[in-house]
Amino acid sequence: MKQYDAIVIGGGHNGLVTAAYLARAGKSVLVLERRPRVGGAAVTEEIFPGFKFSMFSYVVSLLRPEIIRDLDLARHGLHILPLESTVTPMENGDYLAAWADHDETRRELYRHSPRDAEAYDEYGQLMHFMAQAVKPILGMVPPDPTSFAPSDLAGLLKLGKHFRGLGGERLHALVKLMTMSSADFLDEWFETDVLKATKSASGIIGTFLGPRSPGTAYVLLHHYMGELDGVFRAWGFAKGGTGAVSEAIASAAKSWGAEIRCNAGVSKVLVKGGRAIGVALENGDELRAPTIVSSLDPRRTFLQLLDAGALPDELVADIKQFKFRGSSGKVNLALAALPKFTCMPDGAGGRLHRGAVSISPSLDYVERAYDDAKYGEFSRRPYMDVIFPSMIDPGMAPPGKHVMSVFVQYAPYNVKGGWTDAKREAFGDAVVNTLEQFAPGFQSLILHRQVITPLDIERITGLSEGNIFAGELALHQLFFLRPAPGWAKFTTPVRGFYQAGSGTHPGGGIMGASGRLAAMTILKNGA
Amino acid sequence: MSFDAIVLGAGANGLVTAHYLARAGKRVLVVEQREAADLSADIGWVPEAVIRDLGLDGAGLRIEEPDPWITVPLAAGGSLELSRDMKRSVEAIRRISPADAAKWPDFCRRMRSLAGVLERLYLAPPPDIETTDTRELARIAGLGLYVRRLGKQTVIDLARILPMSLAELLDDWFDSDALKGLLGALGVWHLKQGPRSGGTAFNFLHHHAGSPTGVFRPARSNVTQALASLSGVTIRRGARAQVQVKAGKATGVVLEKSGEELLAPLVISSAPPRATLQPLAMELDPEFTRAVANIRARAVVARGTLSLGSTPPYSTLCIAPSLDYLERAYDDAKYGRNSTTPYVELQRTDGRLEVHVQYVVSGGEDPSKTVARLLNVDQSQLALQTTPESLYHGELTLDQILFMRPVPGWSRYRTPIEGLYLCGSGTHPGGGIPGAAGRNAAREIL
Repeated sequence: MKQYDAIVIGGGHNGLVTAAYLARAGKSVLVLERRPRVGGAAVTEEIFPGFKFSMFSYVVSLLRPEIIRDLDLARHGLHILPLESTVTPMENGDYLAAWADHDETRRELYRHSPRDAEAYDEYGQLMHFMAQAVKPILGMVPPDPTSFAPSDLAGLLKLGKHFRGLGGERLHALVKLMTMSSADFLDEWFETDVLKATKSASGIIGTFLGPRSPGTAYVLLHHYMGELDGVFRAWGFAKGGTGAVSEAIASAAKSWGAEIRCNAGVSKVLVKGGRAIGVALENGDELRAPTIVSSLDPRRTFLQLLDAGALPDELVADIKQFKFRGSSGKVNLALAALPKFTCMPDGAGGRLHRGAVSISPSLDYVERAYDDAKYGEFSRRPYMDVIFPSMIDPGMAPPGKHVMSVFVQYAPYNVKGGWTDAKREAFGDAVVNTLEQFAPGFQSLILHRQVITPLDIERITGLSEGNIFAGELALHQLFFLRPAPGWAKFTTPVRGFYQAGSGTHPGGGIMGASGRLAAMTILKNGA
Repeated sequence: MSFDAIVLGAGANGLVTAHYLARAGKRVLVVEQREAADLSADIGWVPEAVIRDLGLDGAGLRIEEPDPWITVPLAAGGSLELSRDMKRSVEAIRRISPADAAKWPDFCRRMRSLAGVLERLYLAPPPDIETTDTRELARIAGLGLYVRRLGKQTVIDLARILPMSLAELLDDWFDSDALKGLLGALGVWHLKQGPRSGGTAFNFLHHHAGSPTGVFRPARSNVTQALASLSGVTIRRGARAQVQVKAGKATGVVLEKSGEELLAPLVISSAPPRATLQPLAMELDPEFTRAVANIRARAVVARGTLSLGSTPPYSTLCIAPSLDYLERAYDDAKYGRNSTTPYVELQRTDGRLEVHVQYVVSGGEDPSKTVARLLNVDQSQLALQTTPESLYHGELTLDQILFMRPVPGWSRYRTPIEGLYLCGSGTHPGGGIPGAAGRNAAREIL
């Protein structure tokens, strides 16, 4: 039997990034994926004949540029097409648009509020700067503030210096971003409600929080960190869907000799004398390696792959308290034709459909969507982020037809009475009916519909409670607390067993930063 | 007429500042806009340092320590009463949830340890994280060391719990709705947030500061009255004053009605920072004015009295039966309405029965009818007052505390106007700790 240097559990994008970096450093690596294809939540599937969908995660922007460079992903087929605009239809038939052209966006904003048009540039500069200021932290292994080890003290000192180097005003802005609600934060800048609603929506993605809940301003910033070709805050769509991102990383890993085995679910990590020695597969096979890496979420990594006795009680308690609370759903639609939105019947010459459509007509609208979820219901009128991938990459649908991707919030994992087939369809109906109000006749264009609840996300991808970030991106679950205090450095109490998923620092989105940092840690420890 | 210092406002903080300055040999005048002294109870921890320094024990200071400290009517009949004695509280909780009773002592100890850190932070000006001054850096390092000496658990708890929502924290510990409701109420105390909002765990600990282990309601006292009875400063009541500034320096105040000019090189305002600074906008940098305008101080509480024919059998009665109840009460406020079913607490102090009602939005309807129905009393027995702005002069959210309070970068009680200081609840450490801001301000001025 072949001996590997390292086995990576889970072929999501982070697992693949770890594998690629390890293989690039000359290690023999095996990736084990439970599903028939790699990608995890970044997969493209032909759900209906001829119609391809980025089934879960659907836009790219957070993928770290150093990973694209290091792994030479362009050569392995990664091609990102820009998603340039966002249109928000309003309840009164008007709209708010942000276009690729800065001056055009400014004119559009001016139409709503001259004051906001003035503030917009200053706001953009601040967010750009703040994202730059936080960026180094994304690429850093979090120091442990409870430890007295020289490396931790040095790390803390470095962190302190970094923040003080920002200067008073920006340091204060950072504190505000870390602690405020996106609504309160935006209130300090803008007066146009629909603008605040649309901007604040990026602060609620993947959280179980509303735009008025403190902590959402950070998620706002997190989504500002996206970088495509050096252009900040540019969202993109991978040609071939997000599955193509995973395929490109897998191809890079394979080019350095990594093996990838699909249909190979892992049931346990084998531990002997406090050391990981291999894995047991669901089919009963056992594979050996001195280094085992889990890219699954923290709950699965610690509580499922290991036996209870292998971990200190404190860590078990901490992981049990780690919050997942999935809150997002997805509706994938195959369309006979593009829908017409009341607010912009001509679709601005196709530009509307080549960008995103945000269903966030007012702050209260989004907040009420959250209220439903708070008390255990899916939102009757949800917040939605809609894109038409076939307009950007025609290969996604048969000629003349289209695919439509609808990201929906809120759909609580713990919905009252539990998710049933009937409830899933009721949720799908709420989505379609709400969209129908903004685009009359839309319903009649639907050829096929796939509704994905957080429970479906959990069942298919394995993400606990269907949380798209493998654990909520809340302030108390970030940095040295992600996933648990004392265990935020990609290691575990079991020697040779590492964690690499989005549930570790910095987490969230198709970013790959966790997988890269994990690989660096493993290589430093001399795997 | 001229003085060494003029203090605006004869509330606890204003008087504390005035007396510290007087003790340092300054001639101090306090100007208070209201005619009559406020007789309502002061709610919050009165730091021992203030009592000792100003000799308040000899001035008739009474601090109430009701036992049981809270009574909660239960849906199933009867009530939950928590006492100062840990064993009795555990017994009481056991009757509604044995699992919660088992966790209660540990929960109380963990919270006490965290509140202890806040207490230490509150009795000094907030750490200045931008400083290059070695003494201040040494003080920050000392604070860091102090916290780390408390043990690993405290460091982790501080980082993890402060930004959390209180609902998440309580759900991690307890099952009982009644228990979580009474604790949850303290987390939203004077805050326009519901218990599911991040930062409410901090607000909870803020109001636990100064209380003994296992007591989660702030002390009640007559500290303002005791301070008013101290000699050493002149108090002029029924006069509204306007701060005078010449060439960037405070020169004194002018009394609004009489136009009388009072001179002093030091003017210290215990009024809300916005009320103090906005009239002086011409003298201030626009960025600073914008920061002042951005202070969130939304009123959510109505206070007043309830007259009953007889003395009720409880000292504190809390109506907040569950976290969802509180959250729904907040939902109404979120959309600009008074709570349909508000959180109500009755506090018996000195023979008066005071009422705390939340959420009551400013400019909304009179909440008396709703409260009377909820308490099953006649509306005429209630006398409730609302305020246009938060009684705390600035909500205690994580972005408005420590070096961010009252506005970022100006947390040392100073203002850009030389000689003009702030000493009220709008400054560090904020509301609910009568005298702490006043004492810190006075020490900073001296």
